[in-house]
Amino acid sequence: MSSYTPSSSAGGVGSADSAAPRRNSKRPKYSKFTQQELPACKPILTPRWVISAFMLVSIVFIPIGVVSLLASRDVVEIIDRYETECVPQNFRNNRVSFIQSDANKTCTRRLTVTKHMKQPIYVYYQLDNFYQNHRRYVKSRSDSQLRDNSSWNDVSSCKPEDDSNGLPIVPCGLIAWSLFNDTYNFSLNNQQLAVNKREISWKSDRDHKFGNDVLPRNFQNGTLKGGKSLDPTVPLSQQEDLIVWMRTAALPTFRKLYGKIERDLQPNEVIHVTLENNYNTYSFNGKKKLVLSTTSWLGGKNDFLGIAYLTIGGLCFFLALSFTVVYLVKPRRLGDPSYLSWNRNPGGH
Amino acid sequence: MSGWDAVNSPKSQPGSSSSRKTPARTVTLGRVQPQAPALRTIFCNDCDANMAHRYRGNSISTTKYNIFTFLPKGLYEQFRRVANLYFLMVSILSTTPYSPVNPVTNMVPLSLVLMFSLIKEAFEDWQRLQNDKAINNIPVDVLQEQGWETLQWKKLHVGDIIRVKQDEFFPADILLLASTNSDGVCYIESANLDGETNLKIRKALEKTWDYLTPEKACEFKGEVQCEQPNNSLYTFTGNLVIDNQTLPLSPNQILLRGCSLKNTDFIVGAVIFTGHETKVMMNSMNVPSKRSTLERKLDKLILALFCTLFSLCLVGAMGSGIFIDRKYFYLGLLENVEDQFNPNRRFMVIILTMLTLLTLYSTIIPISLYVSIETIKFIQSSQFINKDLNMYHAETNTPASARTSNLNEELGQVEYIFSDKTGTLTRNLMEFFKCSIGGEIYGAGMTEIERDISERKGIKVQEVQMSAGSVREKGFNFDDVRLIRGAWRNEPNHDVCKEFFRCIAICHTVLPEGNESPEKIKYQAASPDEAALVLAAKKFGFFFYRRTPTMIYVRESHVETMGKTQDVSYEILNVLEFNSTRKRQSVVCRYPDGRLVLYCKGADTVIYERLGIGNDDLNKVTRDHLEQFGSAGLRTLCLAYRDLAPGFYEGWNEKFIKAKSSLRDREKRLDEVAELKEKDLILIGATAIEDKLQEGVPSCIQTLSRAGIKIWVLTGDKMETAINIAYACNLLNNEMIQFIISSETDAIREVEERGEQAETALFIKEEVRKQLKQCLDEAQQYFCSPSGPKLGLVIDGKCLMCALDPSLRVMLLTLSLNCASVVCCRVSPLQKAQVTSLVKRGARKITLSIGDGANDVSMIQAAHIGIGISGLEGMQAVMASDFSIAQFRFLEDLLLMHGRWAYIRLCKVVMYFFYKNLAFSLTQFWFTFNTGFCGQRFYDDWFQSLYNVIFTALPVVFVGVLDKDISPSLSKKYPELYKEGVRHMFFKWRVVALWAFFAVYQSLVFFYFISATCSTSLDPSGKMFGLWDVSTMAYTCIVVTVNLRLLMMCNSITRWHCISVGGSILAWFLFIFLYSGITTPLDRNDNMYWVIYILMGTSYFYVTLLLVPVAALLVDFLYLSVQRWFFPYDYQIVQEMHKDDIQSTDPSELLESKQQLTPDEARCREISQLPKEVSRHSGFAFDSPGYESFFASQFGKYVPPKAWDVARRGSMRSKATPK
Repeated sequence: MSSYTPSSSAGGVGSADSAAPRRNSKRPKYSKFTQQELPACKPILTPRWVISAFMLVSIVFIPIGVVSLLASRDVVEIIDRYETECVPQNFRNNRVSFIQSDANKTCTRRLTVTKHMKQPIYVYYQLDNFYQNHRRYVKSRSDSQLRDNSSWNDVSSCKPEDDSNGLPIVPCGLIAWSLFNDTYNFSLNNQQLAVNKREISWKSDRDHKFGNDVLPRNFQNGTLKGGKSLDPTVPLSQQEDLIVWMRTAALPTFRKLYGKIERDLQPNEVIHVTLENNYNTYSFNGKKKLVLSTTSWLGGKNDFLGIAYLTIGGLCFFLALSFTVVYLVKPRRLGDPSYLSWNRNPGGH
Repeated sequence: MSGWDAVNSPKSQPGSSSSRKTPARTVTLGRVQPQAPALRTIFCNDCDANMAHRYRGNSISTTKYNIFTFLPKGLYEQFRRVANLYFLMVSILSTTPYSPVNPVTNMVPLSLVLMFSLIKEAFEDWQRLQNDKAINNIPVDVLQEQGWETLQWKKLHVGDIIRVKQDEFFPADILLLASTNSDGVCYIESANLDGETNLKIRKALEKTWDYLTPEKACEFKGEVQCEQPNNSLYTFTGNLVIDNQTLPLSPNQILLRGCSLKNTDFIVGAVIFTGHETKVMMNSMNVPSKRSTLERKLDKLILALFCTLFSLCLVGAMGSGIFIDRKYFYLGLLENVEDQFNPNRRFMVIILTMLTLLTLYSTIIPISLYVSIETIKFIQSSQFINKDLNMYHAETNTPASARTSNLNEELGQVEYIFSDKTGTLTRNLMEFFKCSIGGEIYGAGMTEIERDISERKGIKVQEVQMSAGSVREKGFNFDDVRLIRGAWRNEPNHDVCKEFFRCIAICHTVLPEGNESPEKIKYQAASPDEAALVLAAKKFGFFFYRRTPTMIYVRESHVETMGKTQDVSYEILNVLEFNSTRKRQSVVCRYPDGRLVLYCKGADTVIYERLGIGNDDLNKVTRDHLEQFGSAGLRTLCLAYRDLAPGFYEGWNEKFIKAKSSLRDREKRLDEVAELKEKDLILIGATAIEDKLQEGVPSCIQTLSRAGIKIWVLTGDKMETAINIAYACNLLNNEMIQFIISSETDAIREVEERGEQAETALFIKEEVRKQLKQCLDEAQQYFCSPSGPKLGLVIDGKCLMCALDPSLRVMLLTLSLNCASVVCCRVSPLQKAQVTSLVKRGARKITLSIGDGANDVSMIQAAHIGIGISGLEGMQAVMASDFSIAQFRFLEDLLLMHGRWAYIRLCKVVMYFFYKNLAFSLTQFWFTFNTGFCGQRFYDDWFQSLYNVIFTALPVVFVGVLDKDISPSLSKKYPELYKEGVRHMFFKWRVVALWAFFAVYQSLVFFYFISATCSTSLDPSGKMFGLWDVSTMAYTCIVVTVNLRLLMMCNSITRWHCISVGGSILAWFLFIFLYSGITTPLDRNDNMYWVIYILMGTSYFYVTLLLVPVAALLVDFLYLSVQRWFFPYDYQIVQEMHKDDIQSTDPSELLESKQQLTPDEARCREISQLPKEVSRHSGFAFDSPGYESFFASQFGKYVPPKAWDVARRGSMRSKATPK
C-alpha cells in the first residue's frame, strides 16, 4: 500500500498543473530555452549610458595617460646617429667599399649627458631599414642545432648559409651570419666605463634555446663575412650578443640591447665613445644609432602609450560633454512613437 | 463547365499542338499488346517466368551513401562549397615551400569543419540506414511449396503470392486476389500515403475470390498485364488473364505499399510492383532543396571577400617585386637564390609571392561560417519553431514543424503570401446550413459572412435564436421547423422533398461505420460535404445505415406511414464518380418496386447544362437561390434526378462495361459513356453548406498586412464565394478600390456559346487585355500618392490564364503588385503555381505559399517558402512544404517572431563573421608592409588556425541562437517592425561597408598601436621584444576586442553570452599558457617559448590590454550611440517604449493572454470549441493534384494532364463483371 502514496501524490502534482500533457500528446514540453524566455539583461544604450560610458573611459584613461607620460618623461635617452660621421671624409661617396675594406674603422663620438641618469644605463644599437622580419631571413636558422650539440649538423633550414666548404656551420643561417659587429667602448673623463654584457638577453632564451654545450664551428669561415665572428670556445648560451640578435625584431627599425653601464651619470658629463664601425648598413642605406637610456616601470622612453591614453581619454571627455550638451539642448525622448518609421511618413514610403 | 475546361486543359489553347497528338496515340494503343514496351507482364506464382524480366527486388534503400562511397561522395558534397574548396587549395598550397605558414594553419580549420559536417551527414545517413533495415526486415507470409512461409520484405519478388494479416502493412504494390471477408472485400487505411484516415474498400475480382488457402493459391496461375511503374497513386490500368479470360483491373484491386489492412483477417495477393518501383516510392521524389535569399546574398559577400583577398595579394605581390634587391646583403641573395626571392626574376617573384600571400591571408574567408550558420539554423528550427507552445494546436494535437532548416531567415523577409482558401482560411468543417427544394428556401440563420456584410452595411444584426426543438450536430447546423422532425410532410411540395432527401441519402460514396443506430453511426466520407449531406438526410428522416457492394439501405420515415420507419433497400447499379472535370456524381439505383432512377448532384454550371426542357420557372428561382447562397459564402450543390427506362439502361450499361474494361484511356471513355446518360435531368433543388473561417484568420490577416505583407488568395471557388471570404477575412473592404476582371461577362458568354474554342480564347484574351489596361490606367493615379486608398484585385482563372500570357504578363504584374490584396478564383493548381512564380520571378520578391490540400502542392513548391497546414487534411501539402503549422493564424508567430528573429540573428552572425575575419586578416596585411612584402606571417601558425574555430567560434553561435531584440508579444503588437527584414535593413551593402570600415579601423589600431610601442624597450630591465612577443600581444588584443565587440552587438545578454565570451577569452589564455610554457619533443616551438610569461611580466602588457580594445571599440561605440540617438531603428524605439515592462516569463502568461481576445477572435474561438470533425479531402472544391504535370514540365518532361488523377475512394460498382 505504501507504494501507492507517492504515486498518488505525484498525480496530485500533475493535475495541479493545468497544462499537464495528455498521454500521447505532441505538445512540446515547456522550457525557458525552447520558448526563448531565458532570463536576460537587455541593455539599452540610452543617452545616460552613452554619456556615462564616455565619462568613465575619460576618468580612467586620463590618469593612466598622465602616469604613463610621466614615466616616459622620466626616462633619459641619448641617441647618437653615427653611420655617416664614422666614415672618413674621403670615403663618404663610396661608403660601401669603405666598409668592405680593411681600413681602420675606429671612430670616436662625444655624448653629453643632458640629465641625471640613474644606473643601470642601457646601451642599445638601433638599426634602420633592416628587415630582420623578412621571411627568407627569419626562417634561416636551425633551432635544434642551437639548442643541442648532438644535432649540430642539422642545417637543412639554414640555406643559403648552411655550410662552409662542405662543413656544417654552427650557428648556421642568415641570422647568425649577419650578426651585428660594431663595438662600443665608453670612457668618462678618460676613465673606462665598464659595459656589462651579461644578462642582456631573456633568461628563457639563454636557458632553453641555446645550449651550453653548443660551440661555434666553421662560423664566418666563408668567403664573405656577414658580421661578427664568435669565440669558438664559448658555448652559445653565453654568447649573449648572438642570443639578443637571434630574437628577431618585429619591425625593420629596431633596437637591440648591447650592454649595461652600471653607474649613474651626471648632467653635462661628456662620454667618449670609441666605436668600431664594422657593420655594413651602407649597401641598403640603413642608419645606425647608439642609444643610452634609462628605464622606468614602463620600459624605455616611449610617449606613445601616454599620449594615446590622454587622447582617448580627452576624446571621450569631449564626446561626453558634447552628448551632454545635445542632451540638454535638444533632449531625445526615449521611446517616442513619432520616431517610428511608419509614423514619420504615414501610408508607407 | 466549359469555362473550367478551358483553364484546366491546354487543349483549348490555340497552338498547343502537343496535347493534340495524344488522341492519335490512343488509337494505336487501344488494343491490348502484351509485348508492347509500355506494358509489364507478370506471371503470378511463377518465379522462373518472371526471372526473365529482371524486375527489381523489394528491398529499398534511401541512404545517400554506403560505406565505400561515403568518403568520396561526402567529401565531394563538401567541396562543392566554394569556401571549402578554397581552403583545400590553400592547404595544398601551404605544403609547398612558398607557404609562409605551416600546412597545419589551414588544415586544422578545414578538417575540423569537414569532420563536423561529415559526422552530421554520417549520422543522418546511419539513421536512414537503420530505418531502411527495419523496413526491409519486416516479416511477411509468402506462398512457397504449398504453405505460408515467413520471409523478410526484402526477399519478395514480383509475382509472389503473399498473405497479409490484419493491421499489417503491405510490403509492395499488390493485386488483391482474395480476402477473408465476404465478397472479396478488404479495408485499407492509407494514412501513410495521403494522410486520410478513413477506411477504404478494395475488392478482388470475383474470379479470384477462392484462392485463400495455400493449397488453392498454389494452383493460381494468372498473368497480369499492366502499366509500367509510375507515381500516380490513384490510377492503375491492367488486365488479369486467367484461364484464357481477360479481366480488367482497376485501382480497386490494388493494395499500395504504405497502406495497412484493417477490419479483415487476412488477404492474399500477388506482388506487382516491388521496392523502388512501388507507387509510394516513386512518389517520394527529391524536392529540390531551396536556398534562402540571405544565403545567396551571402555567396555574393564571399565572392566580394575573394575579390578583396585577391586585391590584397596583388598589392603585396607587386610590392615584393619592387622590394626585392641584392642590396639587402643579409638576405643572402647573391647566389643560389630560389625563384621567389631572385631579384633577377621579378615577375616570378610576383607570381610566387601571390601564392604565398593567398595562403597567408586565407583567414579572410570565414571557413566556419557555413557550419556555424547551419548549427544555428538547426537549433532555431528544431528547438524553437518545432517546440513553440504558441504554435501548438491542442485540438488537433499538432505542433508546428520545420521540415527544413534552410529557410528560417527567409521567414523574416516575406512580402507576398499566397493562400489557399479551403482548409487554410476556412475550416473545411462543412455544415448543412440551408437548402432550396422545389423553389423554396429552407433554413434560418445567418452565416458569419452575411453577418459581416450586414455589419458593413450598418445593419444591426439580431442573433437569431435557435428554435426550441432545433437539432444541432456537428455537420448539421440547420434550423427550420418546416422540415425537421418529419414536418416536411405537411409542405405543399412534399414529393419533391422526398426526392431531395432520397437523393442526398443515396447519391454518395460514403461508408457507414459502427453501430447501425442513428446516434452511434459514423460516416466515412471522402469529402466533408458528402458527410454533411448524408448526415442531413439522416436528420430529415432518411437514415442511410448500411452499404453492401450492390445495395444501399435507408431507414425512411414516410408520409404514408406516419411516425413509423421502414427499411428500404435500393440496388445500386452504377456509381459514376466525382472528379474535377465532371464536377458531378451520379448513382443509378433500382427501387424495390423496380423503378430505375439516376440521381445526380454536382456544381450548378454542370447540372444546369444537362437539365431537360421545361420547368424554366423552377430552374430560374433555384438559380436565384444559388446566387443567394453563393453570396452568403455557402458552398452549393445542385441535385437532379432522371427516371430511366429499363431498355435504355441496358443498352447504356453495355457501353459502360466495355469502357470499364478498356486498358487505355479508360477514364476518358468512362466519361464519354457517362455523358450519354446524364442528360435530360430534372432539377430537385440545391443544398448550401457552410464553410467556416478558421480561428483568428481576420485578425491575423490584418496583422500581417500591417507588417507590409500582401496576401493573395488563390482558390478554386466561385468568384462570389471568394470575394465574400475575402471580405470576411479583412482582405477586401469597402474603402478599397477594387478591380474585378471576370470572364463571366455577357460578351464572353455569347462568344463561348458559339462553341469555337480558338475563337473564344482569342476573344477572351482581347477582353482581358482591355480590362487590364482599363484597370491599370485607373490604378496608375493612385500609385503615386502614398496616402491614397488601397487597391484590391479580383480575377478569375480563365482571365488569369490569358493574363499570364507573356504579352500581358507585365501589365498583370504591375497592377497586382500595387494591390494590397489579390483574389484569384476558379484557378487550377497549375495556375496557382504560375501565379506564385510570376511574382517570385517577375517581381523578385520573397513569396510564401500556404495551403492544406493536394491542389496546393504545386504552389507550395513554387514559392520561396511553402507552408502546409497540418493536422487536418491529407499529408500531401505537408510533405511538400518547408514548414507545417496547424492553423493559419500561427503564421503570425512564424513570420513576425521566428522569421524576424532568425533573420536579424543570422544577419548579425554573418556580419560578425565578416568583420572578425577581416579585422584579423588585415593586421596581417599591414604587417606585410613592414616586412618588405615577403609574406612573413605575423602570427604563429596555431594562432591563425584556431582563431576561427576556437577563440571566436562559440559566442557568435549563442548570439545566433539567443539574441532577442524585443519580446514576441511586442513583435506582434508592432507588426510594422517586420518591414525592416523585407527591406533588407540588416544585410545590405551599406551595412557590409560599415562593418568593413570597423574592421579596417580596428585592424589599424591593433597593428599600429602595438608596433608604435615596441620600438623601445618595454621592460624595466631594458630588454627588447622580438617579433613573436609583439604578435602575441597583438593577438591577445584582437581576441579580447573581437569578443567584446560581440557583446556590444547583443540586444539581450544572457548568462550564456557571458560564459561563452568569457570562455573564449579564457580559452585563449589557457591555450597560450600551455603552448608557450610546454615544449614537446615533436614540436619545440622555440619561437613561442615563454613568450606570454615574458609579456605578462611587464606592466606594458596590462596597460596595452586596456588601451587597445578601448581604442578599437571607441568608434564602434560612438557609431552605436549616434545611430541610436539620431537615427534609431524602429525596433530600438519599441525597445525604449517598453523598457520598463516587466518581463514575465511565467508560463501561465501563455494561457492568460488568451483571455484578452478581441470580439472577433472570441467569436471564432467560440466556434472552434464546437466538436470538430477531422475533415478530409474536399472533392467539391476542385482539388485535383494536377501538380504532377506541373513539376514534370519543370524537369523537362512532358506528362499529359490526367483529368481523372484525383483522390478517389474505394467504392463499389455493381455488375462490373459479367456473370
